[in-house]
Amino acid sequence: MEVLKEEEEGKEAAKQEAAAEPAAEPTAEPSEEGEMMQPQEVGRRGTIMTQEMLRDLEKKLLGIEITVPEKPSIITKDTIDISKLPCSYQSNTPEEEHLLEVADNFSRQYSHLCPDRVPLFLYPLNECEVPKFVSTTIRPTLMPYPELYNWDGCAQFVSDFLSMEPLPDPLKPALWEKEEAPPKKYAVRPPRDLTSRFEQEQERKRQEKIKAEEERRQREEEERLQEVDSTGTDPLHGLRVHSWVLVLSGKREVPESFFIDPFTARSYSPQDEHFLGIESLWNHKNYWINMQDCWNCCKDLIFDLGDPVKWEYLLLGTDKPRLSLVDEEDDTLSEDYDIENLGKEDEDKCFDMPHSWVEQLEISPEVFETRCPNGKKVIQYKKAKLEKWAPYLNSNGLVCCLSTYKDPECTKILEVKEWYQNREDMLELRHINKDTGLIVDYFKPGHPQALRVHSYTSMQPEMDRVMEFYKTVRVDGLIRREETPKTMTEYYERRPDFLSYRHVNFGPRVKKITMNSTESNPRTVLKITERFFRNPAKPADEDVAERVFLIMEERIQLRYHCRENHITASKREFLRRTEVDSKGNKIIMTPDMCSSFEVEPSEHTKKLLYQYETMMQLKKEEKLCRHQAWESELEVLEILKLREEEEEAHTLTISIYDTKRNEKSKEYREARERVMHEEHLQQVEAQLDYLAPFLAQLPPGEKLTRWQAVHVKEECLSDFKQRLIDKANLIQARFEKETQELQKKQQWYQENQVTLTAEDEDLYLSYCSQAMFRIRILEQRLNRHKEMAPLKYMALEEKLCKDPRLAELLKSFV
Amino acid sequence: MNRLYNSLEPRVMDDDMLKLAVGEQGPQEEAGLLARQEGILFKDVLSLQLDFQNILRIDNLWQFENLRKLQLDNNVIERIEGLEKLTHLVWLDLSFNNIEAIEGLDTLVNLEDLSLFNNRISKIDSLDALVKLQIIYLRQFKNLRALSLSGNPIAEAEDYNMFILAYLPDLVYLDSRHIDDHMKGLAELKHQFSIDELKHRENLIQARLEDEQARREELEEHKAAFVEHLNGPFLFDSMYAEDVEGNKLACLHGAGELLEAYKDKFVVICVNIFEYGLKQQEKRKVELDTFNECVQEAIQENQGQGKRRIAEFEEKHLLSLSAIRDESELSNLEKKIVECSKDISELFNTLMTLEMQLVEQLEETINMFERNIIDLVGLFIENVQSLMAQCRDLENHHHEKLLEIAISALEKMVKGELEEDLPDEVRALFVDKDTVVNAVGSSHDIHLLKIDNREDELVTRVNSWCTHLVDKIHKDEIMRNRRRVKEINQYIDHMQNELDNLECSDIID
Repeated sequence: MEVLKEEEEGKEAAKQEAAAEPAAEPTAEPSEEGEMMQPQEVGRRGTIMTQEMLRDLEKKLLGIEITVPEKPSIITKDTIDISKLPCSYQSNTPEEEHLLEVADNFSRQYSHLCPDRVPLFLYPLNECEVPKFVSTTIRPTLMPYPELYNWDGCAQFVSDFLSMEPLPDPLKPALWEKEEAPPKKYAVRPPRDLTSRFEQEQERKRQEKIKAEEERRQREEEERLQEVDSTGTDPLHGLRVHSWVLVLSGKREVPESFFIDPFTARSYSPQDEHFLGIESLWNHKNYWINMQDCWNCCKDLIFDLGDPVKWEYLLLGTDKPRLSLVDEEDDTLSEDYDIENLGKEDEDKCFDMPHSWVEQLEISPEVFETRCPNGKKVIQYKKAKLEKWAPYLNSNGLVCCLSTYKDPECTKILEVKEWYQNREDMLELRHINKDTGLIVDYFKPGHPQALRVHSYTSMQPEMDRVMEFYKTVRVDGLIRREETPKTMTEYYERRPDFLSYRHVNFGPRVKKITMNSTESNPRTVLKITERFFRNPAKPADEDVAERVFLIMEERIQLRYHCRENHITASKREFLRRTEVDSKGNKIIMTPDMCSSFEVEPSEHTKKLLYQYETMMQLKKEEKLCRHQAWESELEVLEILKLREEEEEAHTLTISIYDTKRNEKSKEYREARERVMHEEHLQQVEAQLDYLAPFLAQLPPGEKLTRWQAVHVKEECLSDFKQRLIDKANLIQARFEKETQELQKKQQWYQENQVTLTAEDEDLYLSYCSQAMFRIRILEQRLNRHKEMAPLKYMALEEKLCKDPRLAELLKSFV
Repeated sequence: MNRLYNSLEPRVMDDDMLKLAVGEQGPQEEAGLLARQEGILFKDVLSLQLDFQNILRIDNLWQFENLRKLQLDNNVIERIEGLEKLTHLVWLDLSFNNIEAIEGLDTLVNLEDLSLFNNRISKIDSLDALVKLQIIYLRQFKNLRALSLSGNPIAEAEDYNMFILAYLPDLVYLDSRHIDDHMKGLAELKHQFSIDELKHRENLIQARLEDEQARREELEEHKAAFVEHLNGPFLFDSMYAEDVEGNKLACLHGAGELLEAYKDKFVVICVNIFEYGLKQQEKRKVELDTFNECVQEAIQENQGQGKRRIAEFEEKHLLSLSAIRDESELSNLEKKIVECSKDISELFNTLMTLEMQLVEQLEETINMFERNIIDLVGLFIENVQSLMAQCRDLENHHHEKLLEIAISALEKMVKGELEEDLPDEVRALFVDKDTVVNAVGSSHDIHLLKIDNREDELVTRVNSWCTHLVDKIHKDEIMRNRRRVKEINQYIDHMQNELDNLECSDIID
């Protein structure tokens, strides 16, 4: 109900902290009273005004800011550190001052000429309490995100980025400067706009339901309708003002003008009844006042900004935004325009809109991805709440949550829908119905068990649940498995054995005193029904369509497929009750063990042998089926376990291109950086200046004499020699020390050998081997040093001879 | 083994031997008991083993229609024969016999594995062509994948392997060894020329067969349209084929040109008839197709309904059957049984009603079709007749002209003004006016007769086709109806029986 005040855009959030007064926002296109900014070009062609600038949608969108009254907005002021803002925020340039004067003058003339209309929204105060002309708060900017290139993506971003705060007084923004007679013809948008669609849909659904239900419900419905009515009649209807974006037709293939509501990112036709009228329009170049009558909302408005009769401009622009003119009219109108021009010229002297005072807009990729302030946004609808999070903000990957409620106060949750992203278990959407307790999980392709949908009320096995699978993934062709406490039904497709359906009825678990209690105790299977698709390779009479194993009764029923041009199908039923006849002989097969109905009786099926073989085959398959049923049960358990683990871990996947989050690529990058750094260090080391310490001893700035050069060289060489000798001595000393220690130890060992424990002996031996190793290494180093020292010395000497600082002098000396 | 080899008498494959073998190789244990109780029909046997039986001659196998595998190894068979009926045979083992030629296998088109190990195939040396023929004979078995031929004289031939591989490129196993692709490639290279030639010949034969087939099909098509041989001068030529006088008269001055013109016109009319006939045939076909489609649709729809009814019934029936089984109280039991049989008769009524509906619907449609097709045929005949009448007019016209020419020629000849040299037999006609007129007349008669015959043939055939078609449709419908009624009765009887049996057993219980 309130006029909403938007806070800011992405940029500001990033840079200036999210707070900020609306008015202060850069590139804001504040509009008063249903004015539209004309950032039209968003995504397409900018109509009016400078198309070039307008091109960049983002700018506009970013710039969209409501010029909410400064006074109420003080609440948020403290969140901005004014001192850090550039001086353009804190003061006005002479051009701006001039502009403000012009605007003031304009405004005075306007209120004189149109005393009935709301005062103009021309120069609200920014965050630093400095009045700024609205047009200069707009700064067209091109952003590096392709998503923002079209108006819809851009508008979506802005709407996500804005958060609303109700004003203390919904009418205040319109009254910020001078109080005047209350306006009558404002374009006001009832707050309904923000909620209505969903509401209406809810309403409609509810109505449909209710109609089908009983009178009691109907009564409730009536009450609800009354409620709606009461909220629908808005006491402030037509009094509130709002800012939104107008995209004019013409350039960039925009076929017709439309409005964008910055809060919802929806576009509306100018014919929409929610827009009651337009007071003024502005973009970063100019400001126009609507002189047309809005009695019929915005339906009859003509958006030809070059027509000074319909649109009174503030500045006499250099570019002529008369885009919508029909060719024939062009001449006359331009004449008019010229005349106007002449008239105004002395007044304005072609004063151009000063450059925007707003800092360059920048949206970092993080902020762009985060979208909403702090990455979270809550939108409250009637009886519903929508929460949005930036990806990776929640550790379980939750990005969106929609809760619907039974009551307007939002206390009783009806159902919850949660959308996830980047889940390793591919969970995409979870739908929880609080009434029935039914939870439905939807998965994207790629779950390890090929799960597509999983609906359940409890994660306990043997409860009601339905699992659906991605059919191309599973080798066994399973597409759906339904479970109830007593049954399990599976649906298959594309199997080589043409199985399409298996239904298992379970009986109660038999309580065995199991020896091996580790084994699972499966439920008894009472009945298995299997259905098959037609196998074209077999004649219909031999192609089983359905077989039922009545395990308890030892009965097997077969139903075959229907022949072509027949309506009855063959059937066969096997019953194996008595294994022993009256004389105690084992009965193998008797005719009454198999009763069959055959559409076309054939001879060989009447044979006992055939029946016997078929029955044996079926017995085998029965075992197989039971086994498969058991395996299915196991699989369910496995899936449930896996799901629980996944739910527990809720790991998120990170693209390897996401170098910020992906640990591996981060490590890799860091490792590479480290290597680069080390290489760099080595290079630096290699370039160590041997001469530096010696040159430093000489008076600085003077040229070296030959003598000095020789001296320096010799000094350097002798120093190096000394270092080599020192090093050799050092190694020698260490070598000797090690040898001595070893000898000592050996001595000690020999003395105490008898009393030593095995452990001590081991210790000693390992010490010896290590000491020997160290001694050997030291010896090697010493030898190497001896070999290398003269070479190094020579190398240094040569290097010094070639050193550019000494070379000249030494050469001549030599 | 030795026992068999040593027994002096070669044996004959008789019923006893086969029965014994079948019995021994049939199902074992429990199933065997059953099998022995019932006996096994030879045609149910899929595999038969008759090795070491000292068999001299293959015989008596014709009953084993479904045999897949036959082992006749280690006998003394000398010729491959008596296998013609075993068309399903996949595996044939004839190793260790005395066979001298690969033959008698023509009908075994499914053969995949043929073993002729250790026989006497092609012991005649130097008969290269014959050897080749033996192998080439095997090319007709498209499924043959395994062949065993070693142990035969033929296998001693140099180049035996290569030859076989080249000529039987689809083989996978030769002499129980897998053939590798390399060898196959070598063999192909080596025998490429002769293989190509062979293939070329085979292709030619194939092409000729196809050509012939196509021609035959075309003729069939024309015959179906009843206008065969009308798309050219065939009819005209046949008119003159037996017409001696006509041919003689053609050499008269002016008669030749006349004949040419006549032929042209005549052929044009024939072609008209031909084209018209094809068009009409197309129309009749479309008519028939539409009719069939409609009938099929109606039948399918009806069947669907029937199936649905039966499915519904069965669902209910199963429940009531198990209820009956569980019922212990006699009065309730009886009530339930009565209910159940009521259900059955109700189903019967429903199904029969459905069928009667369909019969009525179809009858109406068939009658309509009959009327239409008879109309079509009538129209066709009428138009053909009018075209034929044009032919006759042409003939009459030609006859008059020819008569004129003949008479003027006679006059000239009488006056001795005839310059042309005429053959003697033609000259013989011009004896007097009567002879000439008779000759011309008889030629004319023959022509008319031919035309009439052709017309009659066409009309008769098209009429009989029409009658046959209509008869067949009626008959088919009657058959269909009978089958369905029988099916329904059978089903209902079965259901009723089942119920009765249940009753009996229950009462006994």
